[in-house]
Amino acid sequence: MTRVRIWFALAGVALAAGLWMALSAPVDALQGVWFRLFYIHVSTMWFGMLAFLVTAVASIAWLIRKKQRWDRLAAASVEAGVLFTGIGLVVGMIWGKAVWGVAWDWEDPRLASTAVMFFVYLGYLALRAAVGDPEARARRSAVLGAIAAVQVPLVYFSVNLFRTLHQTQTVRPDGMTMSPEMRPAFFVNLLAFTLLYVALVQARTFVAKREEARSQIEVAAGDAVVPPRLDEVHDV
Amino acid sequence: MKLLRQAREVARVDLVVEGRVGETLRVIVPFAVAALLVLPLAQGPNLALLRQVGAAVFWTLAVLFGMQIALRQSANDTDARRDFYALSGVDPAARFLGRTVSGTILLTVFLAVLFLATLALYDPPVAGGDLPALVLAVVLFAYGLAALATLAGEVSAGLRSRGALASLIVAPLSLPLVLGAAQTAAGIGRDAGILSWSLLLLATDIALTVVGIAVAGPLEEART
Repeated sequence: MTRVRIWFALAGVALAAGLWMALSAPVDALQGVWFRLFYIHVSTMWFGMLAFLVTAVASIAWLIRKKQRWDRLAAASVEAGVLFTGIGLVVGMIWGKAVWGVAWDWEDPRLASTAVMFFVYLGYLALRAAVGDPEARARRSAVLGAIAAVQVPLVYFSVNLFRTLHQTQTVRPDGMTMSPEMRPAFFVNLLAFTLLYVALVQARTFVAKREEARSQIEVAAGDAVVPPRLDEVHDV
Repeated sequence: MKLLRQAREVARVDLVVEGRVGETLRVIVPFAVAALLVLPLAQGPNLALLRQVGAAVFWTLAVLFGMQIALRQSANDTDARRDFYALSGVDPAARFLGRTVSGTILLTVFLAVLFLATLALYDPPVAGGDLPALVLAVVLFAYGLAALATLAGEVSAGLRSRGALASLIVAPLSLPLVLGAAQTAAGIGRDAGILSWSLLLLATDIALTVVGIAVAGPLEEART
């Protein structure tokens, strides 16, 4: 638990620094102050997609190795991914409303494909919640986690495949399409969300491990240990 | 060959069971046609608008009610039927393929009925175009949706919330199928190029088939 707290503390410091740098970075010549949302939007979307790829790798690892820790990692990573993607979508819509004039552009395949990806992983979480048996839950989720990741590269490259209103990647193999003065804020925010992602995954896997241990104890104890009922307590 | 023979037999049994239960033809198809009445009643008899949105309404209902057909109760294996298949030596991959084929046949019939009903109620513009290409696009769409729903049905098999859960998985993942089929149909109407959209449909179908066959075994283990 101490390790999780340290990760959260580091993430908190980095997020505060990222926010300060985002607010003090130079404004964009065309978009003005609204461009500051870029630092949150891009970082959250990156880590949303990365989280789903981690889930895919962990799911495949579970199907091969059948080790419970891969299932815990897959589930924790999806939860973080859904959170980041949700934040990224909302921030992107606010940014879009400010600079495009519309929160949602139906001609933009990046928006539609991201929304689809988001709902598929909500389905993944619903599936996990619906299956009680840990082994069956891990197996079914692993299959869905591996299949669903096919969308991630499609979402990422959709801005290259179709020319739309959405801007293309900021970081490319041939360099960055960003002013050098803005880069420190961008990289500090990326680091902050990396730390937050690690902290969230660590916390969620820790909780999942505890939950598994508790259910094992309950199974082992059977009916030997029965919690007191409220009416019995009142009778006494 | 053994796999295909088994798949054919599974599809045949599925269709016989469905023929007896009649869920698709007696319940879901009339429900879908009734749903076509909702928009004109809510919007008012604006004929120009109905002509304009006819194709969109068709594809929306095709996905929503197509999912219901592909996830129909008769395609939900009971433990007894699953045991019967297992003891008969039926490969899980053959069961996936067979179920997909039976779903494709039912969906194709459903889409034909829905198309005629949409034509009658909305009168959308339908150009002569290339009819075989349109039929092929519809069959590829039906196959993809059936494969996706079979896969989602297996992932959520035996769960109390199976219907809603499988639909939540199928609806967003069916996007390439809807895009491919709707754009192919629209392209035929406009005499525009349809190759890329048809290829998208075909590629999605192939990918779903490969994935379905690959994961059929592990998903079977999840239920045992």
